[in-house]
Amino acid sequence: MHHVIIGNSAAGIRAAETLRYLDPVSDISIISEEDIHAYSRCLLPDFLAGSRSEREIYFRPEDFYARNRIQTIFGSKAESIDPEQRRVLLDDGTRLSYDKLLIATGASSTLPPIPGIDSPNVFGLRHLRDARNILKACAKARRVVIIGAGFVGLEAATALYRQGLEVTVVEKMPQILPQQFDTLAADIILQDIQAEGIRFVLGRGIKEISPPSVWGRIFSNPGCGVVLEDGTRLKAEVIIIAAGTRPNVEVALSAGIKINRGIPVNDFMETNVPHIYAAGDVAETKDVVTGQTGLTPIWPNASAQGRTAAYNMVGHPKAYGGMIGLQNAVEFRDVPAIAMGISRPAGADYQVLSSYHPEKNRYKKLVLLNDRLVGMILVGDIHQAGIYGALIKNKASVSRFNDLLLRDDFSYGYLAT
Amino acid sequence: MKQIMVDVERCNGCLTCTLACSAAHSLTDTIVAAMAAKTPARIQVMPVKGKAVPLMCRHCEEPACVDACMAGAMQKDPVTGIVTNEGNEQACVGCWMCIMACPYGAVTQHPNGKTALKCDRCRGRETPACVESCPNNALRFVEVGEFAAEKAAKTAVSQLTGT
Ligand SMILES: Cc1cc2nc3c(=O)[nH]c(=O)nc-3n(C[C@H](O)[C@H](O)[C@H](O)COP(=O)(O)OP(=O)(O)OC[C@H]3O[C@@H](n4cnc5c(N)ncnc54)[C@H](O)[C@@H]3O)c2cc1C
Repeated sequence: MHHVIIGNSAAGIRAAETLRYLDPVSDISIISEEDIHAYSRCLLPDFLAGSRSEREIYFRPEDFYARNRIQTIFGSKAESIDPEQRRVLLDDGTRLSYDKLLIATGASSTLPPIPGIDSPNVFGLRHLRDARNILKACAKARRVVIIGAGFVGLEAATALYRQGLEVTVVEKMPQILPQQFDTLAADIILQDIQAEGIRFVLGRGIKEISPPSVWGRIFSNPGCGVVLEDGTRLKAEVIIIAAGTRPNVEVALSAGIKINRGIPVNDFMETNVPHIYAAGDVAETKDVVTGQTGLTPIWPNASAQGRTAAYNMVGHPKAYGGMIGLQNAVEFRDVPAIAMGISRPAGADYQVLSSYHPEKNRYKKLVLLNDRLVGMILVGDIHQAGIYGALIKNKASVSRFNDLLLRDDFSYGYLAT
Repeated sequence: MKQIMVDVERCNGCLTCTLACSAAHSLTDTIVAAMAAKTPARIQVMPVKGKAVPLMCRHCEEPACVDACMAGAMQKDPVTGIVTNEGNEQACVGCWMCIMACPYGAVTQHPNGKTALKCDRCRGRETPACVESCPNNALRFVEVGEFAAEKAAKTAVSQLTGT
């Protein structure tokens, strides 16, 4: 038996270690385009900030592959899959046979198609090589503009600010973290980051990036210009695009696998092509809250999907319990915050319980639908996040303790007694 | 594998377990050292409708905190079954993903604000300090099954799933 995994990150690694745990004898190979030990992309901001070295962002011990007897094929890209012959073709011409194949190719940064996007010193932030290039460019820079005030943009902003750069974040929506947080929560977090000294331009998208002019280059003023929709110009030596991601589906396409935005899989993480599974940021699974199939590009879900795929690959049928698609924990400076599920409900069917203590930077919002918790936001005090998460995930009726839910001492105890 | 089981009825909220926990995790293993260093407890005793309820990690079979850990610090030891974010090659960054993931609310922020804090079942100690110290026998360290474990677990699950 030969298990082949494409992708050496959250989903791929969790699958590989679970495969080895379940099956001590089969061969396991991991193919990765990046020629490096498994590292955590989520810690790239810590690397940018200088608080963690390359080794310190590895998320498994250095002897991981040896100990688990995993063959590593690093620095190679999987070009195509032949599902009839059950072979993967690599970019160096090698063919690799598989019995079961896991596609865990993750996602890439999306770069908006605007003029000048290919100028020097414009970067995405997804891979360690991006982070290395950003640091190199920042060594000679004073000003950074970050496009996108989502999670990755804000992480990058705080990291580079810590390196002593002047940071401006541009966001086309009128608030930061528009995917996860409502305006009140976003405002508390915004004030916290602004207090640090980072500048924000909200409610304005970008139109183009103008490369350094000839004169600029001659007089060693290499800054690019970022032109906003309303014509405003911002100067910066380094520009980071944090405008979302798109799943890496190319290799799946070659195998005739069905694709929406990502690769839809069933409860057993199977694609529509036999013996081929998908997990992680590239996969579309069912969201337990909305019931809809879609991408859920976050680390815990990638791990859980990889682990589930492994069970099914070795022939122990195991259904993916389903996860909450949207959930995120943030702490940029002092104020921790967590959002989950339907945190910004639209419609009269939802009931919202909330409490706000501005003096303590504390905000709590619980969203209910038909006596079930379907979403929440916690700012300042996050200790109850997991309990609320479990209630959301299990679609538990909360009518018994509806009036207690908002209390700061609401705990698992209320469920267990 | 042995587990710490809670008999809620027997708990009268004396908090001895929390002190013993702090002591066991202080440098010199004493309550004085724990108080001096403000060593935090990893077990919580929460008031629930006027009744004290001890809450702590169950060292789950498939821990959500381990899946959630983006640093690789939170691991379940395949031999002892202990789930902890300490003492592994990877160090905790305090991203709070585990707090978000734990359905029991058993992971908290260390008062240092930098790392997550949870029960490590006193690593290697024959009987965990909380169990040893409980004067009411509300905490017991037993093979799962010996206790009315299943029953307890079932009620908990049915409460959670609303079935
Ligand atoms: C800066 C940053 C911060 C983040 N912070 C958080 C956070 O706080 N919380 C959270 O939940 N999530 C966070 N995320 C998201 C999280 O990193 C992803 O959800 C997770 O990495 C997904 O894992 P994956 O295994 O699906 O894929 P990926 O991590 O995307 O890895 C896929 C791998 O496959 C390789 N690959 C792709 N195609 C091929 C091919 N054809 N051949 C060979 N190799 C290939 C890629 O090069 C890559 O190495 C963050 C992401 C970034 C970039």
